[in-house]
Amino acid sequence: MTETLLATLVSGVVLGSLYALMASGLSVVWTTLGVFNFAHGALMMFGAYIAWTVSEAAGLGLPAGILAGTAGAAFAGVVIERLLVRPFYGNRNMLLVTVMTTLAAMIILEKGAQIIWGARLKQLPRLIDGEVSLLGVAISAHEAILLVLAPAVLIAIWRFTVLTNTGRSLRAVGQNQDSAALIGINVPVAFALAFGLSAALAGLTGALLGSIRFITPSMGAEPLVKAMIVVIFGGLGSLGATAGAAYIIGIIEALLILWLGLYWTPFVLFLLMIVVLVFRPNGIFGGRE
Amino acid sequence: MGRLLDVRDLFAGYGPIDVLRGISIHLDAGENIGLFGPNGHGKTTLLQTISGLVRPTSGTITFNGADITTAQPPKIVEAGLVQSPQGNTMFGEMRVQETLELAAFSRRARGKRNDNLRRVFGLFPRLQERGNQRSKTLSGGERQMLSIGAALMCEPGLLMMDEPTLGLSPRLKEELSEAIGKIASDGVPLIVVEQDIEFLLRAADRLYLIEHGEAVQEIDRANAPDHAEIMELYFGKAGA
Repeated sequence: MTETLLATLVSGVVLGSLYALMASGLSVVWTTLGVFNFAHGALMMFGAYIAWTVSEAAGLGLPAGILAGTAGAAFAGVVIERLLVRPFYGNRNMLLVTVMTTLAAMIILEKGAQIIWGARLKQLPRLIDGEVSLLGVAISAHEAILLVLAPAVLIAIWRFTVLTNTGRSLRAVGQNQDSAALIGINVPVAFALAFGLSAALAGLTGALLGSIRFITPSMGAEPLVKAMIVVIFGGLGSLGATAGAAYIIGIIEALLILWLGLYWTPFVLFLLMIVVLVFRPNGIFGGRE
Repeated sequence: MGRLLDVRDLFAGYGPIDVLRGISIHLDAGENIGLFGPNGHGKTTLLQTISGLVRPTSGTITFNGADITTAQPPKIVEAGLVQSPQGNTMFGEMRVQETLELAAFSRRARGKRNDNLRRVFGLFPRLQERGNQRSKTLSGGERQMLSIGAALMCEPGLLMMDEPTLGLSPRLKEELSEAIGKIASDGVPLIVVEQDIEFLLRAADRLYLIEHGEAVQEIDRANAPDHAEIMELYFGKAGA
């Protein structure tokens, strides 16, 4: 019994790592631009396909593939910001308009991937073969790398936003655009940067997930929904809150699958999301207004 | 001595309504000017337009000989024209020192970051004490100090201050007034917006009365009006 529970906890933490990478990307765009990017899952998928193309089709190896997937998604993110988000800055209905334009970006990316890469399932090899024992539970070495890499990337991004001028400028723009402009920060550049960084996180997640699950044009939909649940659960205030919520949701999901099965798990997760929205609309880590 | 800032026949506003209706003001090298007049007549809009946050519909703005009428805010800061806006909380979640360090963002200010930080802390020791606090926890006076401090971190060649003492206690007002005097005597040219003309007459060489989006009167410190005349400027002749 304890062994099953331990195994469940470990798989929950693996899930949580993925959700943390995804959700922190959503959170970066939300806190900087006040836009909810529905194309975030599709950017993850795009990163996975680019990684596959470079790693498998071109035969350059997985590390090059992961780098290319991250960079490719970042580039796509900047293009989406330029073409589908920037024209609506200052629009009174910006939030609503960008819901539609980023949904459009999601559809374009998904259908585009279907045309370019076809409907056949693809998969990436693992970074390292073999297994690692964690708390007596055997997990693949690839998942173990994910466990270490996700917090490392998140800590690096957190340090970036706290210590560097560029990172600080992203936070400043999110808190007060006019004040940021008045101390010489280029607000549109900061927006593009936030979108690029967020998309890079999505692309990295996709490239890593492509070794665990199949790469399909619609593979981003489910992680996007989970990332949404995470940011609602944790609140969109800070990277730390988002990351913490991601691990909690990952573990809850793994436990639910163990106790209730795959069928009822999404139902309970959404129920949880509704309960949080009703009683703690700013998330469990967010302050009350 | 050349002309540092020249604003000519400027029209600007929000949507279809012009707040500025052909305003012209200028500042020569070596002088400080003040803007006063009733609320809602365009003083803040004028500063926002000069800073590039509001787009003018016509007219020209020249700074240091360069046309900046349609320049973006970062370009204007890079040129040295800096604003400390009114009642500004800046970045509520950021710490005071972090905010000041970030304000040396432009290329012109980056190299002088540490010097300017020392200068700001010398001017406002309270900001140094509060260095690790988040900006949203500051009092009104401290926020005003942060706003002016951040503007100084931009290494201004001309500093525009929008009602730096608005809503402050007399004691704090005195403290800020002293600091503003020090900034001016350090050689930073100032444009100060204020309701309090006595305060302005101490800080500025020349004043403009702004009404209905125009500079309707220019007052020299040499022939400054007395209290009764000032009241008249604001409220019109008694019994008229």
